[in-house]
Amino acid sequence: MPKQSLKSTALIATAALCVGAALAAAPSTTKRIKVAMVPKLLGLSVFKANEKGAVAASKDLNIDFLYTAPVTASAQGQVEIFNSLIARKYDVITTTSNNPTQLAPALRRAMKMGIKVVSYDSDVSADARDFFIQNTSYPEMGKALVDSVAKYIAPDAEVAILSSTPDATIQNEWIKALTAYMKTAYPKMKIVTTQYGYSNPTQSLTAGVNILQANKNVKAIIAPDGGAEVGAAAAVEKLGLTGKVFVTGCSNPDSIRDYVKKDVIKASPLWDEVKEGQLVMHVARLAANNALQKNDSFTAGSLGKFDVKNGVIVFSKPLVFTKANIDQYQF
Amino acid sequence: MTRTLQEAPAAARRPRIGGWELALGVLLLVQLLVFSLAVPGFFDGVSGLLNVTTNFLPFGLVALGLVPVILTGGIDLSVGAVAGFSAVLMAVLWKHFGLNLGVAVPLALLAGGLLGALNGLLITRTRTEPLIITLATSFVFNSVTTALAGAEPPSGFPDSFNALGTGALGGVPYQLILFAALAIVISLLITRTRFGRSVVMVGYNRDATRYSGINVDRTVLGVYVISGVMAALAGVVLAAYYSAVRSDMGDILLLTALTMVVLGGINIFGGEGSVLGAVLAVLLLGFLRQGLLIAGFSDMVTTMVTGAILLVAITAKNLLSTPGAFTRRMKERFSRPSTAPPEQLTK
Amino acid sequence: MLPLSRPPHRPNAAWRTWRGLLESRELILIAATVLVTLLAGLINRDFLAGSNLRFMLLNSVVLGLVALGQTLVIITKGIDLSVAPVLGLGAVVSGLLATRDGLPLWGAVLLVLAIGAVLGLINGALVSSISIPPIIVTLGTYSLYGGLIFLYSNGDQVNSVPDSYAQFGNGVLASWFPVPIPILVLLVIMLAVWFLLGHLPFGRNILAVGNNPAAAHHAGVPVKYTLTSAYVIAGTLAALAGLVYVCYTGSATATTGTGDHFELQSIATVLIGGTAVAGGRGSVFGTVLGSTFLSVILTALVFLHVPAIWYSAGEGLMILLAVTSSSLRRSSSTGRAA
Repeated sequence: MPKQSLKSTALIATAALCVGAALAAAPSTTKRIKVAMVPKLLGLSVFKANEKGAVAASKDLNIDFLYTAPVTASAQGQVEIFNSLIARKYDVITTTSNNPTQLAPALRRAMKMGIKVVSYDSDVSADARDFFIQNTSYPEMGKALVDSVAKYIAPDAEVAILSSTPDATIQNEWIKALTAYMKTAYPKMKIVTTQYGYSNPTQSLTAGVNILQANKNVKAIIAPDGGAEVGAAAAVEKLGLTGKVFVTGCSNPDSIRDYVKKDVIKASPLWDEVKEGQLVMHVARLAANNALQKNDSFTAGSLGKFDVKNGVIVFSKPLVFTKANIDQYQF
Repeated sequence: MTRTLQEAPAAARRPRIGGWELALGVLLLVQLLVFSLAVPGFFDGVSGLLNVTTNFLPFGLVALGLVPVILTGGIDLSVGAVAGFSAVLMAVLWKHFGLNLGVAVPLALLAGGLLGALNGLLITRTRTEPLIITLATSFVFNSVTTALAGAEPPSGFPDSFNALGTGALGGVPYQLILFAALAIVISLLITRTRFGRSVVMVGYNRDATRYSGINVDRTVLGVYVISGVMAALAGVVLAAYYSAVRSDMGDILLLTALTMVVLGGINIFGGEGSVLGAVLAVLLLGFLRQGLLIAGFSDMVTTMVTGAILLVAITAKNLLSTPGAFTRRMKERFSRPSTAPPEQLTK
Repeated sequence: MLPLSRPPHRPNAAWRTWRGLLESRELILIAATVLVTLLAGLINRDFLAGSNLRFMLLNSVVLGLVALGQTLVIITKGIDLSVAPVLGLGAVVSGLLATRDGLPLWGAVLLVLAIGAVLGLINGALVSSISIPPIIVTLGTYSLYGGLIFLYSNGDQVNSVPDSYAQFGNGVLASWFPVPIPILVLLVIMLAVWFLLGHLPFGRNILAVGNNPAAAHHAGVPVKYTLTSAYVIAGTLAALAGLVYVCYTGSATATTGTGDHFELQSIATVLIGGTAVAGGRGSVFGTVLGSTFLSVILTALVFLHVPAIWYSAGEGLMILLAVTSSSLRRSSSTGRAA
């Protein structure tokens, strides 16, 4: 073969390989699918941040996107929504749940009808979903939560936990992780009480105030929930304890910005909620295309490469917000 | 109250298929048609349509229980709390005390009846408005329920139990069979028994009823017991439907059930109304809510619509009553309620 | 029929007896509050700290404002469940407009007063002109207004408020007068309502309508107007309470108000404060004392480490107690068995 045609063959082959690789990386988007995102409740800013990312990703992935949730953190409310989605023959249901077992019957029914289920943030029973997107590794989050306050308090200080609802999966996982880490890293530190704010600002504020009034020696409140962290910080401020009691938790930066600037919250770990929302849509698309296995790996556009182990995908490492970096994040 | 007793018993005994019930029936048919055509996923065969009823019949059970209460001119705001309490009690007895559900369920219904009796006793003994008593008891029942349910309310009932909420017999859901049977029972209770007659008479003209020798207090007590039992039953059915209980699961029941009763043509001041109207209203409102949910409207919208229907229905009922009834209603609304002993009125 | 300028004679004798009894209810509340405070202070010194006392008072302001409006409604033998979503609406609308559009505080005040008045007007109109029972009307408007919050906010939360708002909700007027502003607001409104009820013809009309509407009508009292006004005031105060709420806590969501059951709590406060359920008589001071008492009791329970789950049971029991005790008193004062 003449040198010229060899070169052109090589060029064409390389081009074909590149296109093929690109095609293999991006999920097939020929068929328009209906995907619903059903967070724990409407009106919590962290979930709205998910929505932002999901809406953006839906445009690129040819997804008909719906965002809906009950008004309060109610598993019953989520079940009603699932029933309606099943009747409307949605392709994929994505959800973060208020309770791991109560949603399972409805989700299993959806799966039986061919609807794919992808859970994220707060998981459901493993047999009631196809894939689960875990925000961060639980041990890493537990460590980040404890370290965020440990720097500012004595190693034998009293600490309180302000959670969302008693049965929320994700909060309970984090609490397990942070308790375990605390035992090894700060064995003299004690958790004196755990209260619940039901992801509701008033109840979280009241719970925070209750904690501080009934336990005068508490030096830190760990509030691993968007509503809870804001409530705890407000309680600290209201009782004039800024600088004496430190708060950390898992809230989106917009909600806690003022408290971080006022040093009520020194450090608060989270992850990029907007990007996570994008990832949820990517996984939904792959699941609908039947293009993802329980043990697999894939690339989600600009978000990077992810591994799937037993249906679980870990999204990222904890992203800690402090006074120094919080203004870079607007969600 | 100025109505005479002569009118009451006859009206209660006559099978009421008056204009209101007819209008409800027509509306129901039109609604089913419109939803089936306009909302994809609503109509899934006859059995599918019947299956939709499992989503809202618990409301209907509560509404059936409210009918006798409202016929006496009273009201029961604690139905949601009683439903939640009974469901949680049943679940706790099953989970933590190892009782068979076949025993736990009747105990839950008994509890509902006892709570209803408590309401009735408080109302008759303290001569206070049912509104306030049942409001206060709903507060109390709710928090006892929360304490009872604890951090992890039991869930995951055996399938044989869940079938009550979601299963069917030959295409007809068990809930529907239960509802229909109870509707017939309560209708017969009101139209054909002496108790039923006294219920209507108490609502029509309480003092005249007392003068004619009927024990008004016993009648009032009875209707609140019925309401309590029906609310408990609704709670049990909801538990079967979700295969789980929560302390707040009864909260949504009150507004919708009350709207169903009012929409069904039961006079809120008592003394008038038919179970058939209530049944039609249950179906009408239930399918409306489900249709809206399936069409993708949020639960917030369905609640707002229910609230609007409540207001429209009662306004319509007020204005469409027999001519001259408007002024009569005004006078009734403003006259002293006859919860005080008769002697005081002569002062 | 000559219109009389004062309500009919009949209530007067009952008035004197009732005034005596009511005063005793207020005294009971004051005594109970002081007693609980001292007892809790004995068990835990921190309860008596200035910051805690200040906190308990401040914490009762929002409920107190709502309950003042509810007092007027209950006096007319009515009830207003929709105060909860109206409060939520006041909180969310003012909070969102403040943070997103920079609405100044005085603008927010005017806005919430207007919102509350209009929503209350709807309630009042339905109750007075089409004579639908208030429980039904406000049950319906409860869900309607609740939905309005969602339609307006689209689920968005208020997470912080501008400094002027936060100052209004937590600060004092001047350093030499260290009374928090919300407490001043409550005191001013309380005095206004008290004056209205006790010394203005309008107040006498409200009492007359609640006591015996037919007789009031015959005496020339403008029943419809009076009834409507009671609901307008209730709505206005509820919306104002919402503004105070969002300034005090710095947050609001679509379930603010309804999620915290402000409707039930305000009714409880009014009844505990001594206003009778049967209407026709009421105590403004009692209502405010009632809200303070509830705040003190709840805080004491926290200090005594009582699990939070039992708090609303306590409130319900207190309503039952308040209601049944007034009926027992009623029957014993008239010398007959209930």
